[in-house]
Amino acid sequence: MQDYVYPSIYFSYFLFALLAGGALYFFLKSLKHGYLSGNTEEPKYRMLHDEEQPEVRK
Amino acid sequence: MPEEINKSVEARSSAASEPALVHDDTTAKWFLISSIAYFFIVGIIAVTIAAKFVWPSLLGTVQYLTYGRLRPLHVNGMLFGWLLAADMGLSFFMVPRLCAVKLWSEKLGIATAILWNAIILGAVVSLLMGWNQGLEYAELPLPLDIAVVVAWIMFGVNIFMTVASRKYDQMYVSIWYIMGTILWTAFVYLTGNFAVLFATGTNQANLNWMYVHNAVGLIFTPVGLAIAYYFIPKSSNTPLYSHKLSMIGFWSLAFVYVWTGAHHMLHGPISQWLQTISIAFSVMLLIPVWAVVYNFFATMKGQWHQLKDNVPLKFLMSGVVFYLLTCFQGPMHSLRTVNAIVSKTDWIPGHAHMAVLGAFSFFAIAGCYHMIPRVFKTTIFSEALANWSFWFLMFGGLGFFVTLWLGGFWQGWQWNNPSIPFIDTVIALKPVWIVRFFSGILMFLGIVSFGYNIMATILGAKDRPAAA
Repeated sequence: MQDYVYPSIYFSYFLFALLAGGALYFFLKSLKHGYLSGNTEEPKYRMLHDEEQPEVRK
Repeated sequence: MPEEINKSVEARSSAASEPALVHDDTTAKWFLISSIAYFFIVGIIAVTIAAKFVWPSLLGTVQYLTYGRLRPLHVNGMLFGWLLAADMGLSFFMVPRLCAVKLWSEKLGIATAILWNAIILGAVVSLLMGWNQGLEYAELPLPLDIAVVVAWIMFGVNIFMTVASRKYDQMYVSIWYIMGTILWTAFVYLTGNFAVLFATGTNQANLNWMYVHNAVGLIFTPVGLAIAYYFIPKSSNTPLYSHKLSMIGFWSLAFVYVWTGAHHMLHGPISQWLQTISIAFSVMLLIPVWAVVYNFFATMKGQWHQLKDNVPLKFLMSGVVFYLLTCFQGPMHSLRTVNAIVSKTDWIPGHAHMAVLGAFSFFAIAGCYHMIPRVFKTTIFSEALANWSFWFLMFGGLGFFVTLWLGGFWQGWQWNNPSIPFIDTVIALKPVWIVRFFSGILMFLGIVSFGYNIMATILGAKDRPAAA
């Protein structure tokens, strides 16, 4: 019987590396979008009125 | 806080200057209605299982209704039929609103809901027939696992495309948690249901426990918190205390949770260094948990009086307390000394039920009570019945959790005493299981009153139109 233990664990490592890379990407992007700037609290006020949001014109 | 009021008024006036966006919500309705139906059906199975602990021969001669068939059906039914489906429905409600756009594709959403229902019905048949992979939380047969992956990709594409077309750069924290749930579920589910099939022995067990723990930690926790972050400010009509703190909670959860699964194998045949890492990261979980809980409590400062007659808020804030308790238990019973007593005892289902029912199901129920009247443009059928559903679930849940914690410690101490025959420890637990059964009855009454209230709200929507 072929032993798949190591390939299966490497597959998990690969998925984990993919996620770590994704996390780093989104983290850097969040900094660019100003999550740690002076405007960081804006979304919490906006969400209270999201039922009244204007229609987005494309 | 005059500055906060000003910002809130600014946000409202800028929103009100253009015509309001009308959401379809068909997908959200499909998911919510079917999930509540499964909550009721699987609730019957839960009570049956609890009864079997007290009367072990009950229904024992019917092969489809033996404990070994019903238990995985209960676990998978509650996790995927009720809770994850409800969470997906609530995500389909929240994301378009938070992004100020319509859902990317209602057709794709409805197709996802149909496929999800087919999976759950397939799970009912296969698990009752005994077609079971024999892995905790990953019992579904391979074809259904593949269908879950397909449905999850459909769900993920719809949500990510909606987020990609959002009106604002900065996303509210709930969107971060929902995106995290989609990506982390892909990783956790593939590892737990596919990679695990190619591993053997302790490696297989290790992968399996990584999956089991992160099914709660990286699937139900982030989407549950997304719901709490959305509905606590909405239900209390109060801005979140700190968006920056919520982002710190999100990123710390992202980096800590994945390492904790091996604490299920403490004192087992895995490396000591792996056990120690899992303990260290389990204790570090206190960082995201306290960041989240402090944010919710600080949001409620000066607003606690609303709990008196606001049922969704009762569910939400009780869920937050249960979340705090369960996430204090988790790190503590990951310590080797505590684990030596409680591991594999009734403490564990007590702990797991407080997380999945006490915290995340309470959040989802609150979301349903908030969302259903809005999407059907009506009012709730009965506020009194909603209140009853809360107290049934609260007292039933408390009876269940507390009894199993105490029973678990009692059981663990007996198991650690080699002079006590094992069967005596089983007989000694009978009073615990009787309380568990009656607590289960109370919880089921809570599910029935919640489900009936929601269905009556939907069916009577035309008779009770919401005020304009």
